Amino acid sequence: MVTKLKQVDAVIVGMGWTGGILAKELAEAGLKVVALERGDMRTAQNDYALPNIRDELRYVVRQELMQNATRDTLTARNNLSQEALPIRRLGSFLPGEGVGGSAIHWSGGTWRWTDMEFKIRSMYEERYGKKFIPADMTIQDWGITYAELEPYYDKFEAIAGVSGKAGNIKGAIQNGGNPFEGPRSRDYPLPPLKSILSSKLFEGAAKDLGYHPFPRPAANASKAYTNPDGSHFGACQYCGYCQRFGCEANAKGGPQMTVIPIAMSKPNFELRTQSWVTKVLKDASGKKATGVLYTNLVTGEEYEQPASIVLLCAFAFNNVHLMLLSGIGKPYDPVSGKGIIGKNYAYDTGVGSTLFFEGKSFNPFISAGGTNTVIDDFYGNWDFDRTGPGFVGGYIVSAGHNTALPIGYRPTPPGTPRWGKEWKAATAKWYQTSMAITTRSGVLPHRHNYYGLDSTYKNAFGQPLMRLTFDYQENELKMGVHGAEIVNRLSQHLNPTHHVKASSAKRSWNVVPYQSTHSTGGTIMGSSPANSAVNKYQQSWDCTNLFILGANVFAHNSAYQPTGLVGALAYWTADAIKNRYIKNPGLLA
Amino acid sequence: MQFLRSLFIFSLLCSQAAFAQDAALGKEKYQDCVACHSVKPGENLLGPSLFGIYGRKAAVLEGYRYSNSLKKSAITWNEDSLNRYIADPQGLVPGGRMPYSGMPDAESRKALITYLMTLK
Repeated sequence: MVTKLKQVDAVIVGMGWTGGILAKELAEAGLKVVALERGDMRTAQNDYALPNIRDELRYVVRQELMQNATRDTLTARNNLSQEALPIRRLGSFLPGEGVGGSAIHWSGGTWRWTDMEFKIRSMYEERYGKKFIPADMTIQDWGITYAELEPYYDKFEAIAGVSGKAGNIKGAIQNGGNPFEGPRSRDYPLPPLKSILSSKLFEGAAKDLGYHPFPRPAANASKAYTNPDGSHFGACQYCGYCQRFGCEANAKGGPQMTVIPIAMSKPNFELRTQSWVTKVLKDASGKKATGVLYTNLVTGEEYEQPASIVLLCAFAFNNVHLMLLSGIGKPYDPVSGKGIIGKNYAYDTGVGSTLFFEGKSFNPFISAGGTNTVIDDFYGNWDFDRTGPGFVGGYIVSAGHNTALPIGYRPTPPGTPRWGKEWKAATAKWYQTSMAITTRSGVLPHRHNYYGLDSTYKNAFGQPLMRLTFDYQENELKMGVHGAEIVNRLSQHLNPTHHVKASSAKRSWNVVPYQSTHSTGGTIMGSSPANSAVNKYQQSWDCTNLFILGANVFAHNSAYQPTGLVGALAYWTADAIKNRYIKNPGLLA
Repeated sequence: MQFLRSLFIFSLLCSQAAFAQDAALGKEKYQDCVACHSVKPGENLLGPSLFGIYGRKAAVLEGYRYSNSLKKSAITWNEDSLNRYIADPQGLVPGGRMPYSGMPDAESRKALITYLMTLK
């Protein structure tokens, strides 16, 4: 039996960055807001404090902050001819679960995606001709511009406490920043983090070879900081437990220490944890969402929460999954290329080399999420000619340690035994004396990379699991080949004692080991219902009172990490709802 | 005698002025702590409230979960112990909950401690 609850103005599914931002903004606008989070309430004082948080076994091996794969997971396959099997233990990607979502265990990388992304098809066609883009690469323009988003990037960077160095302020190129970034209205709210030896070595090599190194922008506060909402940040202590851990020093920006506590202080906002949403409900016309159906995980009771506005703010997988389970929009069919929901799944890829230096001490245990130096000469740099290498997109190159864990981080040079006394001695020696140089590329969408519902496997609620069909294509291989050459050139310039070279070969994606959590697409943004699931306000074309937020609206993936754009789009959507939608509900134009 | 009395008052005024100056500087230094420590009585955040810290025994505030190491430390917070703790928290109390890696500058620590003394 389903208990029907009292109608509210807005219901939010998922309490990470996007849910937290919308909760605060809509509650402040006076709306009655209820948020449903399937995980637990966790706070820094109770859950991320020293010394317990520095527990590699608990948080890395046992994945305590991640989605519980015994309750709900995905099935995976590389192509249509394979049988998809469930991922019973998370590996390749690690979606977070609980209040704060994946923003609890992120590294804080915060980038601004530019018009090179939002106008990808028209820019590549204009410069390289229509034939340059492979026929199966389903890239398209997004229908939004960098200029529209600039104030919202700025807002998100200020709220999340991003440390960095501007490279372009109002068109004026700044020394030491990324000269290829979009024009910013002002510098980052905080100066860059301290540089560590591995970043410095890379910086030197990159400069020597004529590239433009800069510190990776990251939501790790380089000094004590109070954001415009009055949320306090401690200074990053370079503790070495950043990625996959909660922050013990309140220095890593996240919704749990900024927007969520502010929302929770409002009487018109309510957060219900342990609440699992199974379906978005629609009215008879199918054109209006009426609320959501959810289960209280503690009691097993099922509830209907009616709402005037429904906001899907869960992890990208789960937003798309809910759309498919609720039958909103037409599911994508990879054979005919028709349908929208599930289309354009994309991911990250990259290549890397490992460098070993006899006699150096990198102290890799002292690091932050953002203690990296990066070059953007092969991505944001539109002047970089893609004609020869023949790929769409590109890659950033970076070096510097981040969370070099005492148990898991064990680099050894080739020829080292795989176990035993000699192996132990080698890991002890090379822990201190090695570093890596890596590339990161966004995977470009392909017509056969998509999400659907699995026909065999079900989750704990008896619902079909999400099925992911994904593999790397020729474009990724080409980016890898080009990137490996640049990485090896930079590595050799540093003259290491041993050098495990970067290389790229045609390979299939595998669900292990960990590669990246950045999964994009599924409910993509576009200029019309014919080519997309949402408009530029992340508003569903099918049900205009339904908003689907997060990286699932990205029409393709970038070499840049996604969260800067996820945060900016959340504030942009919040403004559109507050200033326009509430007064005049309907399709925002 | 008159001269000595003036000198005494003068030096008293000087030390009061220095104290006030230190406390003002210390309040700035406290910005390093504010993300985790409130100065309001009873307001415990990631760290316990600093109200009334000076002269208090360590790990005695109700409603805050202290580490076992701090509970067993038998520290009373005076100028010496605060100075050593703020310089290197994990050095003085290994296994404590405070992740701060320390304030290296002695003058800054002195100013901060002077400010903490005013919180009563």
